[in-house]
Order: sequence, then C-alpha cells, then structure tokens
Amino acid sequence: MSAQPVAVSVDSLVKAFGSIRALDGVSLTVRNGEIYGLLGPNGAGKTTLIRSLVGLITADAGTVTVLGHRLPDRGVLAEVGYMPQSPALYADLTVEENVRFFAAVHDLERHAAAQSTADALELVDLSSRRRSVVATLSGGMRQRVSLACALVHRPRLLLLDEPTVGVDPQLRAELWQRFTRMSGEGTTIIVSSHVMDEAERCGRLGLVRFGRMLAEGTSAELRRLAGVERLEDAFLVLSESTR
Amino acid sequence: MSGRRAGAISLRILQQFRHDRRTLMLLFGAPIILLGLFYFLTGGGSSLPAVDVVNLDRGPLGAALATDLAQSTEISISRTTEARAASDLSADTVAAYVILPADLSTRARSGVIAPTVHLEGTQPALTQPVLLALDQSVTRASRNLAAAEGVRVPVLEPSLDYLHGGPGLDTLDYFGGAFIGLVVFLLVFVVTIIAFLRERSQGTLERLMASPLRRADIVVGYIGGFMVVAAVQAVEVVVFTLYALHVHNQGNVALIVLLTLLMTLVAVNLGIFLSMFATTEFQAVQFIPLAIVPQVLLSGIVFPVATEPGWLQVVSRLLPLTYGVDGLRDVMLKGNGLTSGPLLLDIAVVVAFAVALIAAATATLRRSAS
Repeated sequence: MSAQPVAVSVDSLVKAFGSIRALDGVSLTVRNGEIYGLLGPNGAGKTTLIRSLVGLITADAGTVTVLGHRLPDRGVLAEVGYMPQSPALYADLTVEENVRFFAAVHDLERHAAAQSTADALELVDLSSRRRSVVATLSGGMRQRVSLACALVHRPRLLLLDEPTVGVDPQLRAELWQRFTRMSGEGTTIIVSSHVMDEAERCGRLGLVRFGRMLAEGTSAELRRLAGVERLEDAFLVLSESTR
Repeated sequence: MSGRRAGAISLRILQQFRHDRRTLMLLFGAPIILLGLFYFLTGGGSSLPAVDVVNLDRGPLGAALATDLAQSTEISISRTTEARAASDLSADTVAAYVILPADLSTRARSGVIAPTVHLEGTQPALTQPVLLALDQSVTRASRNLAAAEGVRVPVLEPSLDYLHGGPGLDTLDYFGGAFIGLVVFLLVFVVTIIAFLRERSQGTLERLMASPLRRADIVVGYIGGFMVVAAVQAVEVVVFTLYALHVHNQGNVALIVLLTLLMTLVAVNLGIFLSMFATTEFQAVQFIPLAIVPQVLLSGIVFPVATEPGWLQVVSRLLPLTYGVDGLRDVMLKGNGLTSGPLLLDIAVVVAFAVALIAAATATLRRSAS
C-alpha cells in the first residue's frame, strides 16, 4: 500500500452531452482506504462521474487524478477496479472463465490469475457455482460475478456503480461487510447509491445533483447541516435548498 | 382471435418502424439499389466484351465479316495483328481474339467458314457473347456474299482455342474458386459483426475500455481469436471444394488457403468496423444486404467486371471481394503462382484492404468510448 494520503482527486470537472451538462464543475477528494458514497437522484451525474474516473469519459474541462496519475493514463487502470451499473459479463462463458478473463486483461499472469480468481469467487461466495454458465444464473448472482470481475486483480481503488441494485437485503448486508473489510485492508472504495441504509455505512458522503457537489461530509455532519434526524430527510432538504 | 389485440400488435410494429428510420431506409432504399444494380449488370448500359479481330483473308469475306462484327451489339471489336491480339489476350485486356484465315473466302465457297477463336476461357459469361456475335455476323455477311456469287450459305465451324480452362471445365469449375472466397468472407463477416456488437451491447466493451487494455490489444485479440477458427474453416472449405467436389484446380493449394485467410482477415475487421454503426443485432444483420449483396453482384463472381458500365467498374475496383475472387481464379483456373504480376497485385490489394480496415476498426473503438 502506498503512503499517499489522496486516492482520487477531481477538480472542476465539466462534461456535456449535447445540451445536457451531466457534470457541471464537480470537485471531489477521496482519501486512501476510505469508503466514499456518492448520493443523488437518477440523472444527477453519479454514473458520469464514476465513468470519468476510469477514463471512459473525456471531460470538456477540469482534471481527474487517480492514485497519483493525472488521467488519461491507461497504466493506472491496472490498479483500478470498475463495476458498472448493469452486470457486464459474457453470458455464454462460465463464472470462472469470466473472472479469469478480467484477471488476464488486468495484466495478471496465468498462475496469479488462477489464484486470484479462486480468491475472488470465494469472496463473493460463488466458488460452488464457478463452472456454471453465467446465462443460467439469477440476477443477484450475476451481480456478484460482476463484483468478482471488478476486484479479481486486487485493485487499490474500487469503483462501484450502484452495486446492490436488485440484490436482496441479506446479500446486500454480506456485500457491505466485504466492502468494509476491504477498506480496512487499505482499498479505497467509491460507491454510488440511492439506498440510504447503504449510505450510512460509508465513511464520507458526497451529495451530487445537477452535476455539482451540493454537500459533503459524514452522515452525521450532513444530518446536522440540514437540521434533521434522518439521512433521507437531510438528502431532500439539502437538494431543495440548493436548487 | 381478437381484432383489437391483434390490431395492438400491428400498431406497435408500425410504431417501431417509425422509430427505426434505418430499417425503413433499408426496406425502401435497398430494393431500388439492388434492382438498379441488376439492371446495369444484365445489359442496361453495360460495356461490351472487348475482342480483337485479325483479318488475314485474301478474299472479300474477311473484310465483310470484320465490318459486320464492328456493328455487333454483343461485343466490341478492334482490328489488329496476330501478335498484338495474342499479347492482349494474355494481358486480359480482351476476352477473345478471332483470326480470319487467309483461305476464309475460298473455303466459304465450298461451304465451310472456319475462323479460329482464341478465348481467355476463365469466364463463361465472356465466351458466350463472342460466339454469338460471330454466328450472327457470319450469317449476315456470308448471306450477301453467297447471294452475289450464287453459292450456298456456308456453315460456321470455328475452331476454339482456350488460353485457360477449356471445354473440359463445367460451371462448378468456373465458380468454385470465387465461391470459396465468397462463402468464407460472408460467414466470417456475419459472425464477427454479431460477436462485436454483443461486446458493445452487453457492456463488456465498456469494461474492457476501463481496463489497461489498449484499443490495438482488442482489435489484435479479435483478429487472433477469429483467425484460429477461420484457418480451420479455410482448410475445410478448400479441401471439401477440391477433393470432395473435385473442382478444377490448376494452381498451388497453399495459395488458395492463403487468399482465403486474407479474405477472412478483411471480413473480421470489416465486421468490427461496421458494428460501430449498428446498435442492435437486427441492424447488424441489415448490413448483409447493404455491405455484402452489392459486393457479390459487383465482384465479378457471376457478372464479369469487364462488361459492367465504366462507372460501375470503378465501384467494383473499390471492393475487396473483387480482388479476392480474381486472385482465387488466377490460381485455380490459370495456375498462376507468386511469380505472376496480376496475382501479386490481387494479394497486395487484399492485404492493403485488411490493413486499412484494421486501422478503421481501431479508430472506431476510440469514438465509441468517449
């Protein structure tokens, strides 16, 4: 693990799709080993922000620095894991073949790839289904395979775009235990969500709306700022006040 | 059955068409383009096969015959010397040359007209008009002469000489080589465009773009994977064609496989490139009538490029399949090897298409990722 204090730093990022400004000068700093939650309604710019952290978006203005490298920089992506919103997998391959493929494209050599694949499948509790073809799995299982693909190369930074959509409460709790354990081991995690009980588990939260950062802080800080008891209410109050 | 429920489906289908302009353009545009191509290929404004005529006749019939041939609606003739005609034929600038021998008029009086027709021989569609034109002109020219001299109308008994191929070859032999190229090209193209489109639509391409992979890694990886399968397919197709169907082959089998593989290389990259312009598998399949059928019509497989109208020949010369088909015919019907200029040119052009499409395929990945 590196001793750098900052894992991700985004400065005044702007990205427009046609007449719609998906990102409108958003800035963000995430420290090493932190779990940072991006909150915001649909269409707030969360996905665009996460995609810009893996170089999928070329910004119109502003800068993105990931693990000390100013993007665009393909090399740093070997240390970043990205889990898109919908489980992007090869439905005609088995669970194990999918995970091993993503291990290999992240530069793991054969031996290490085999070991890491086994570990990742263990982590998402799919070792027993490793020979199943993905097309035969349920939605929740696919979500877990997708997560295994994102973390198989033991990234220092893990980006999760609504990782628990369509996942039942029990599994969601299990996944969050794992995220917390990984963060304890030094992995930085940025996760987008609009589920409030998930937000409570994040170290810090960023409230995104209209492509801007409306408020930032721990759950307690945000609730105090809004002067309300529940995070959900804080979210609504803060969104309203800055409209 | 309920009229309202069925009607709901019909209405929904029409709404889907309204939202899919591409499909509408295909349904209404493609027939015009394809039928138009047929019109030009089957005679409307076509070029006529070029034929050299060498008149050595000491009597009047040769000149009369040559004059009549010049009016022919089947072929376009030039009068020249025997040496020139022979070199034109081997350079493939004429489909045939006709020698009207010194004793043509003399023998005509005894009832037989026996010119020598030297045919290029690899394209039956070019042989037929030559013999037809000759037959028509002999009938007209000799009828006048016979009437003037009061003898019987002579019989046409041309002696045919084939530069390549010949009467021993059947239709399968002529089309076998071209079809190897076509079948492999078509199948590999369809499989790649669908595979790559799936990579886009299921979101895995985005995942790949978020990894340390470079665009070139992806394109080269695709080429590698598909070429393994394509190599097996090429060997299978060539072996089946040559040893089960017994299609005539004059040349080196390894060259046939090489040309086939080059065609698949072009097809893989054309597939990746065009998948950029389709958002659904439905739209990808539409590229078959748009990108493949015109190539089949224009590549000289059935309709010789030489008889297309001039502007259409230019189009044919811009299509990779034209060179693949020509190369395969060079090898299989003419027995050309790597010392043959025309074959090397065909190979070079196919390689150039492959390289250009690899570059284009790599470039389209850039656009899709931002």
